[in-house]
Amino acid sequence: MALLDRAEWYDIARATNWTPKYVSQAELFPDLMTGAQGVPMEKWEVYDEPYKTSYPEYVRIQREKDAGAYSVKAALERSRIFEDADPGWRSILKSHYGAIALGEYAAMSAEARMVRFGQAPGMRNMATFGMMDENRHAQIQLFFPHEYCPKDRQFDWAHKAYHTNEWAAIAARHAFDDLFMSRSATDIAVMLTFAFETGFTNMQFLGLAADAAETGDFTFASLISSIQTDESRHAQIGGPALQVLIANGRKAEAQRLVDIAIARAWRIFCILTGPSMDYNTPLEHRKQSFKEFMQEWIVGQFERSLIDLGLDLPWYWEKMIAEFDYQHHAYQMGLWFWRPTLWWNPAAGVTPECREWLEEKYPGWNATFGKCWDVITDNLLNGRPELTAPETLPIVCNMSQIPICAVPGDGWNVKDYPLEHEGRLYHFNSEIDRWIFEQDPARYRDHMTLVDRFLAGKISPPNLLGALIYMNLQPGEMGDDAHGYSWVEKFREPAKAAAE
Amino acid sequence: MSEPQIAKPLKTWSHLAGKRRKPSEYEIVSTNLHFTTDNPDAPFELDPNFPMAQWFKKNRNASPLKHGDWNAFRDPDEIIYRTYNMLQDGHENYVFGLFDQFSARGHDAMLEDGWARHLARLYTPGRYLMHTLQMGSAYLSQMAPASTISNCATYQAADSLRWLTHTAYRTAELKKTFGDLGFGTGERGIWENDPAWQGFRELVEKGLCAYDWAEGFVALNLVARPAFEEAGLRALGQAGRHNGDTLLGLLTDAQLADAERHRRWTGALVKMALETEGNREALQNWLAKWAPLGDAAIDAFCAHLPDSPGAAQTAREACAALRRGYGL
Repeated sequence: MALLDRAEWYDIARATNWTPKYVSQAELFPDLMTGAQGVPMEKWEVYDEPYKTSYPEYVRIQREKDAGAYSVKAALERSRIFEDADPGWRSILKSHYGAIALGEYAAMSAEARMVRFGQAPGMRNMATFGMMDENRHAQIQLFFPHEYCPKDRQFDWAHKAYHTNEWAAIAARHAFDDLFMSRSATDIAVMLTFAFETGFTNMQFLGLAADAAETGDFTFASLISSIQTDESRHAQIGGPALQVLIANGRKAEAQRLVDIAIARAWRIFCILTGPSMDYNTPLEHRKQSFKEFMQEWIVGQFERSLIDLGLDLPWYWEKMIAEFDYQHHAYQMGLWFWRPTLWWNPAAGVTPECREWLEEKYPGWNATFGKCWDVITDNLLNGRPELTAPETLPIVCNMSQIPICAVPGDGWNVKDYPLEHEGRLYHFNSEIDRWIFEQDPARYRDHMTLVDRFLAGKISPPNLLGALIYMNLQPGEMGDDAHGYSWVEKFREPAKAAAE
Repeated sequence: MSEPQIAKPLKTWSHLAGKRRKPSEYEIVSTNLHFTTDNPDAPFELDPNFPMAQWFKKNRNASPLKHGDWNAFRDPDEIIYRTYNMLQDGHENYVFGLFDQFSARGHDAMLEDGWARHLARLYTPGRYLMHTLQMGSAYLSQMAPASTISNCATYQAADSLRWLTHTAYRTAELKKTFGDLGFGTGERGIWENDPAWQGFRELVEKGLCAYDWAEGFVALNLVARPAFEEAGLRALGQAGRHNGDTLLGLLTDAQLADAERHRRWTGALVKMALETEGNREALQNWLAKWAPLGDAAIDAFCAHLPDSPGAAQTAREACAALRRGYGL
């Protein structure tokens, strides 16, 4: 005799559905929290998680993973990787930690909702590990940047960002609250684990780990790949839930949730990852453009997993793919232009060599975005930096909470997609953002964008200084050009030569 | 207007910088992590009043249990994710070591048939109850007003899955020796119908529906968990020792070590709540409602425990003493 194999007892550990007697099924599983879409509990019992693990395996493997990640950190603590890294890389770290650490903690609450209100025992058990994973991801992504606090005040934002009204933090909260924090257990399985994690984060983390290794930041590389191994397990909670929904005639509802989630995830990745890959990552370390990355991972891989599950591509698929060409370039201009409103220092990423790379990867870049950067570059060359600073307010999308923007210059396609609902006029960046609103206006109706708050007199004084105070940004934390504008010098010699 | 000050780098997070000592790793990674508590009028960065927002406003923000700064709560054990896994990996090595050793010496074959029937009725159906505790702690995790409370609840949910896993393992093992006693197949029917379990079932079904976060905490952490731990773990383990089932006693002792840890933070949270006026009454009112259900559950269960005279009274007294120890 010896120990039993997991397979001999695994099914018993996930046979835990029962019929309540002292309360009603509807009291025990309120629809608001459960979101079962009318599929009865026993139909969920076919749910079969593809990635199986058990408690003793979990604590052993996770202990080993942590030992690995923390020992890499300890070993490299006295190295000068941080000091020697390109400032653009430090900006990636700051924007990443600020936008992600507490978002991961929020995902713990979402996993907890699946543990409590999921309809399938296998889902509730897997979500228990998922909840633990997200606890890990929040803690480890707070502990690592904490080390940098004494070196740079902007690292305080790894913890602070979500507690502020900084505009990118508002955008992140709006997206994550909508994607999972305020959703039912079933919605979370579909939107967070399937659409967001399988579709985006899993792949994003792979890419980020490779970039970190390329840059020489092995602490971050090992951290991110370690997190990714958890993600690839708990991301698989969503697939079988989708299968149950589809098998029980709820394909249209499932499709709608997937479509909303992908659209919301796309905006987040577009503003966070797009500028990181194509502008902040030093040119010599770039492997792929953001567009190539999206084509390979989202179009190539995720498209297949949608089809394999019996879902269709979202109705806006071609529109979204068209955005790969321009939307993140527009966001990059916004990030850099409104740089005092960030908790990191954005790299402009537009030296002559960078521009050559951008033109090669995105033909037409020079005639569109390049023209705006020409003006900025000229102003900086001519000693008029004040002209490169923001003075007015953008129009902010009522869905993404990001300024409405698109292609400038020769390819001009900037357009507001308005909607009047119950007497209020809303503005959207695209047909896709507007469509999300229309799916459930009550979720979004009385939310105010940062600009709405400004116009409503909630921000004083009503100018940039007031806005910065409202966003909790003081000098010493607010962003500026990552390289201290040194890149402008690369244009000075050719400009002089041309003048002569 | 004076120029705004230039923010200088700090040794730790700005929200901890005012403290007069170096923060521990626990504080760095556990404190002030919920952002949905920042704006009481709108839990989410969405419409302030759509149904899920109302759920949080009602069941968390408007709870009768009040405190000016729930974020000041600290787990007395300062458990973080990384130390949780170290701790529990070690404990699992111990438990699976027991399984291995007892299996090697043919433990189950030496159990009497009569005791095995008790196990099929009073032990293995317990996985349903353990699972409800897992679900209940996950509710506390998502609804608690401070991340330091949520973290304790998260680890508690994982511990409950740990207990459930041990039970599932033993169920499969017992089935090999006692193939005709319904191990692995009969538990749901027993959980749903056997009088030994109906008190617990009523308690946890209703406790899971106590959606006010603090009432749910009272129902499960101050009543249901101690009742189950005293009757369904401690008294059952002792009955096992009287019936040649040394393994069961060692196993429930190992699980009770988790319970002791839960009781330390539960007590710390009650103590902190009692600092605020009005909370004693809120807690007492809830206890008046829930404690009798806990006692009834203990009585129903212990009435069927063999070789356990006085077990119900001992368990009830232990629960009452625990709550008294919390200052209630």
